[in-house]
Amino acid sequence: MKQIENIPDSGIFLFKSCMVSVEYPGIESSTTYVFDKLGIDYFVSDEQSCCTGLGYYFDLFDQMSTTAIAARNFAVARKNGYNNITPMCSTCYAINKKACALLNSNDEVRSNINSVFKQAGLDDLIYEQNSLDEVDNFYHVVELFLSKAKQIGKLKLKLNTIDFSGVRVAAHHACHYYKIQSDDMIGNPNHPLLIDTIAKSCGADVVEWYEDKTLTCGAGFSQIHVNRDLSLKVTHAKLESLKEAGVELLLHMCPNCQIQYDRYQPVIEKEYGTKYDLVHMNIAQFVALALGADPVKVCGFQTHSVPLDEFLVRIGVSV
Amino acid sequence: MTYVISETLSEYDTPICDTLAETVKKSLRTSDTIGIDRCLQCGACTSSCPAARFTDYNPRTIVKRVMENDISVIEDESIWNCFYCYTCHLRCPRNNSPTQIVQVLKQMAINKGIGLNKLEVLFGYGDAFSEFGVSKIPDLYVGQMEDDLGIRWREFKNNLDSVRSELGLGAVAVKDSGRGEIRAILAGIGFFDRQDLLKHMAKSKSNTVDEKGEIIK
Amino acid sequence: MLIGQYYIPNTSKYEDMNHSKDHVGVFICHCGGNISDIIDIRSVKQEIRSDNISTFDCEYLCSNVGQDLIKTSIYKHSLDKVIIGACTPAKHEKLFKKCVEDAQLNASMLEIANLREQCSWVHPNNLATTNKAISLLNGKIKRIQTALPLIPIQIPINPNAMVIGGGIAGINSALNLANNGIHTYLIEKEVTIGGNSAKIGKMFSPEKLAEECSMCSLSPLMNEVGSHPNITLITCSEVENVNGSAGDFRVTIRKKPRYVKDNCMACGRCSKVCPTYVENDYNCGVKDKKAISMRFAQSVPQIYSIDPDHCIELTGGECGKCRDICKVNAIDFEQKDEMIELDVGAIVVATGFDEYDASRKPQYGYGLFENVVTQMELARILGVNGPTLGKFARPSDNSMPHNIVMIQCVGSRDESKSGNKYCSRYCCMAALKHASLIVKKYPDANVIICYIDIRAFGLYENYYRAVQDMGVSFVRGRPAEVVQKANHNLVVKIEDTLTQELKEIPADMVVLSSAMEASAGTKQVANILNITLSEDGFIKEKHSKLKPVDTSRDGIFVCGTAQSPKDVTDTIAQSGLAAARTSAFISDKVIRLDPQIAQIERSLCNNCDECIKCPFEAISKDKLGNVDINPLVCNGCGYCTKLCSKDAISIAGYKEEQIMAEIDGVIEKGDVLAFLSREIPYATADNIGNSVAEYPANIKIVQVPTTTIITKAMIEHALIRGSQAVLMVEEPTDNPVGSFIYPLALKNFEQLKGELGKKGARLHFKKAYIPHYRGLAETFISLAQMEDIE
Ligand code: SF4
Ligand code: SF4
Ligand code: SF4
Ligand code: SF4
Repeated sequence: MKQIENIPDSGIFLFKSCMVSVEYPGIESSTTYVFDKLGIDYFVSDEQSCCTGLGYYFDLFDQMSTTAIAARNFAVARKNGYNNITPMCSTCYAINKKACALLNSNDEVRSNINSVFKQAGLDDLIYEQNSLDEVDNFYHVVELFLSKAKQIGKLKLKLNTIDFSGVRVAAHHACHYYKIQSDDMIGNPNHPLLIDTIAKSCGADVVEWYEDKTLTCGAGFSQIHVNRDLSLKVTHAKLESLKEAGVELLLHMCPNCQIQYDRYQPVIEKEYGTKYDLVHMNIAQFVALALGADPVKVCGFQTHSVPLDEFLVRIGVSV
Repeated sequence: MTYVISETLSEYDTPICDTLAETVKKSLRTSDTIGIDRCLQCGACTSSCPAARFTDYNPRTIVKRVMENDISVIEDESIWNCFYCYTCHLRCPRNNSPTQIVQVLKQMAINKGIGLNKLEVLFGYGDAFSEFGVSKIPDLYVGQMEDDLGIRWREFKNNLDSVRSELGLGAVAVKDSGRGEIRAILAGIGFFDRQDLLKHMAKSKSNTVDEKGEIIK
Repeated sequence: MLIGQYYIPNTSKYEDMNHSKDHVGVFICHCGGNISDIIDIRSVKQEIRSDNISTFDCEYLCSNVGQDLIKTSIYKHSLDKVIIGACTPAKHEKLFKKCVEDAQLNASMLEIANLREQCSWVHPNNLATTNKAISLLNGKIKRIQTALPLIPIQIPINPNAMVIGGGIAGINSALNLANNGIHTYLIEKEVTIGGNSAKIGKMFSPEKLAEECSMCSLSPLMNEVGSHPNITLITCSEVENVNGSAGDFRVTIRKKPRYVKDNCMACGRCSKVCPTYVENDYNCGVKDKKAISMRFAQSVPQIYSIDPDHCIELTGGECGKCRDICKVNAIDFEQKDEMIELDVGAIVVATGFDEYDASRKPQYGYGLFENVVTQMELARILGVNGPTLGKFARPSDNSMPHNIVMIQCVGSRDESKSGNKYCSRYCCMAALKHASLIVKKYPDANVIICYIDIRAFGLYENYYRAVQDMGVSFVRGRPAEVVQKANHNLVVKIEDTLTQELKEIPADMVVLSSAMEASAGTKQVANILNITLSEDGFIKEKHSKLKPVDTSRDGIFVCGTAQSPKDVTDTIAQSGLAAARTSAFISDKVIRLDPQIAQIERSLCNNCDECIKCPFEAISKDKLGNVDINPLVCNGCGYCTKLCSKDAISIAGYKEEQIMAEIDGVIEKGDVLAFLSREIPYATADNIGNSVAEYPANIKIVQVPTTTIITKAMIEHALIRGSQAVLMVEEPTDNPVGSFIYPLALKNFEQLKGELGKKGARLHFKKAYIPHYRGLAETFISLAQMEDIE
């Protein structure tokens, strides 16, 4: 099992996420803001491609193609000397982890992909067995935050920023972070508490358990497009539980979940004729805010569909 | 046009075996230790499943049908309800993974041209990826999303570049040289052949998209 | 300590004896035709007979007549050595050894040639078979000429026994031993014996549909332990260290203070005046106990004890109320940890189980929702001496629950990291018992059991049927989760897999049938005693069928839930067996060890310490710095003989010249020599015979302790004698010896192959499994044929 103490804070290859880039770019700027504050040694590359995870779970991409693309991204990380692949998105996390496991354990996959690289004259991409470890070289940004939770708390006290006490916060952990490779997650996968712990260290009033805490967000990759009604039913069920638990701020760790909640909450309100007093943030946006980041210029809250202005005013942040 | 290469490619996800269970076990999509043979039909997957909660989809019975080698299961519409949320995978006491099984079944269905109407609407994803190295929401759905998400979202999307630069972020797409690499890799691995085949199959089979690219409901 | 009490004769003094003058008697058994129908015994005798070799034959050598023939012939013909040609030595070796010993010969003056399983049963009736019989006997004759008398190693056994753990298993073992006249120390870490079974109000039993009062059965046994003249009960104590070995253990015990002396009259005045309430772990942590208390009314010994973590006086405050009121001055705040050393001959481990921590399955809400309890907690809630004094009430509001949902297999039958793979074996019955208790007393209550399979094995099925008849409902499925709604009411989400319906079952109380896990104490004790655990964390028995209560170490036995999950009935049966095995072990008075183990010739040893690499850690250095072999640990595998460059170590009975001599006698041109390790490989070859399979008669088997003793000289000798191929067959890795030896044997083989150069091609290696006798037969056949081609 992954140990908190062993989570690195250097050699971090911050793996860009397609949905972060085009939907909530503030997650990326918040993450680097926090990383800088914490003195984490990281690298962002303009050569890294998307992980193909959406395509994979759209049933469009096959495992071999996805693995080949992953191997290329691993090479990008390696060339820059940053070997701890650390995405902001749970799909990127699980997809890369699985690709790495396959490249290490399946000789046929590795040699097939390496020979494609060779034939295309891309010898520098060749993946050498066990050059990355599927456990020790793969992290989610939230794990890094967790390993620095105490430092974040202290820093926040020092900066004397926002008082979150009295704000009922809850977490939605991303399925693909803790359910796929559940042995490698930090904590008990039937009751994930990573985000909760980080939020607590920032002084938030955390609702650790609510009904359906581990229910999926409902996005279901193609479901929100192909099976829209079913998809929204799930999200609605979860929003109802959160309402029941009196949650005001839901924290996320995956842009796909965030789209589902933030973008579709108004849609659900309209279609189900109900109203939710609930706003959404990525944990990186939350921590950045706690450490004094600008809500627009760093957190990028202007890209959200559920407006945060009122909420921010309430907690004393001038917008 | 021949599609031989693409078929070899799909063999990794859906290897041809004597039984469905064997195909599932050998597929690259499933874990090596998948406990399909050990399933004890306990129903923990189904009672944990969001799709089962709202539809007649039942991951437990899907597993059972695979174990019974009931090939008709790939034609069962309900398998398209799975969210790929992996809750069944987490909760299964036997290390089985109904969702990974369903992923293989759907690949088998797709190979046979089943369910392509649900797939073709997503083809834009692959196109965007191979062109820019990043994915995007398939164009066909942007209309629906605009309806759903309204003006605020549309405006943000129109201003994406300026929002990003205000946040200190660079271009979304992969650098030119990288894009060439990606295309070479996808070509070499056979991805385009398979994608073309699927497109071809989709076109010749169904007509769910009109000339303007709008979905016919 | 032990090493002085026996000796292995110094072999060098026999070296110049002229063995060839010894008179050898060869006895051939007809085995009622099993041997004589195939092998021409007359010509065998003719061929073998000589001046100093007399031959005999008999219809059944193992019969009384046969045994008499052996004994009287030894006297009549002044035989010095005896060869028996009969069935496999695995069958009657002990019997024949006793025969020669009765006739005043040393047991190592006997050799058995396997003429049945490895000759007449595997070859056809022809000349080649008879010739093979002759060569097998010749091998033994040559071998015995080099044999030296071996004196069996004997160790006296300490007559006392120790039982670790005072639950129902330990109590029953101790009583059985004590009643057999064996003085027994019973070590318990708590302040009283009774263990987990003292917590259960009622027990189920296979023959009755009624539940029995558990304390009514347990309490008299506990009292008997307390008063038995043969039992020394030591409570508040844990085993800290164990030295020595089977028959002669020295155990160090740490006894924690009770702060109340043994003269306590159990009047209870102290508890009345004590101002401090503490959580009562006996009663689900309810704060109904004082800092000075008795664990429960029937505790044994009947002595109060003080909880040092909560007592005001012991935590640095000033109180002493109990001391002041005690009429017999039993309170002693000055008590300290005490170390006790005990010498015992055998140990029974009865360290019991811990209940699985159900909060490891947060989806079922244990630890999150008050009204989710475990079966053990429900047992306390239903107990008349429980936290609610027998009232059936749920924790959140003390109201009586009407809808009770039980969830089976929580932490059992679960491959995930937070579960256990095995079935806990008691919980289906515990759930049925509790359902029955509830419904009998509160007929309005609605009990639903969510199960995957109901495991009411054996006669318990009657009980299951009766509970079904009572109206308890069963839903087949493993629930997804338990959800809490208003007023601490619960909902269980499940698929009824029989109807394919998703159900949300409302519940006032949810009871989790938590797994039984090996207790922390079990793991700790196993570590101290150096006995093997199974992958599930329980103490592993030597053989699940044949030696179900023996552990991996001689003289240490196990019973109850320390060995595997089980119910009270099975625990009692097994603890009786452990006591019987222990008492049989102790009443042997001495341990006789197989003398065929490593022996060291001190005059040759230069203390290079190479042999200390013994994989079984049998070799160490004594106080004087000399290499010393522990006969209790050494199994005679022979690996050390190869480590020693001075030829100072050999295996008694398997010295190089003995094996060379046997090769000399056995091998003829065109033969295949098969060295078989003495346990599984040899038995597998016998099994070929038992299964009437065949192989060519030019396969000649020579038994070795393990193939690690085989040297280049032995193989070259066989090749010079005309052997076409040499096969080495080793113990499989799942055998206790093989698990260590197999890789070393393989290495030895590879090295020999290298050293032999071109001839190495004739050397082969294999491992054997008894049921795969066909594999070995096929190897024999193919090697024999290979030689044909050449
Ligand atoms: S949870 Fe696992 S074992 Fe149970 S029915 Fe589903 S797949 Fe089978
Ligand atoms: S992955 Fe699919 S089958 Fe499994 S629980 Fe989620 S929706 Fe159900
Ligand atoms: S000294 Fe301790 S045990 Fe005795 S009465 Fe006071 S608190 Fe109770
Ligand atoms: S006894 Fe019953 S409840 Fe207990 S683990 Fe076995 S099957 Fe499950």
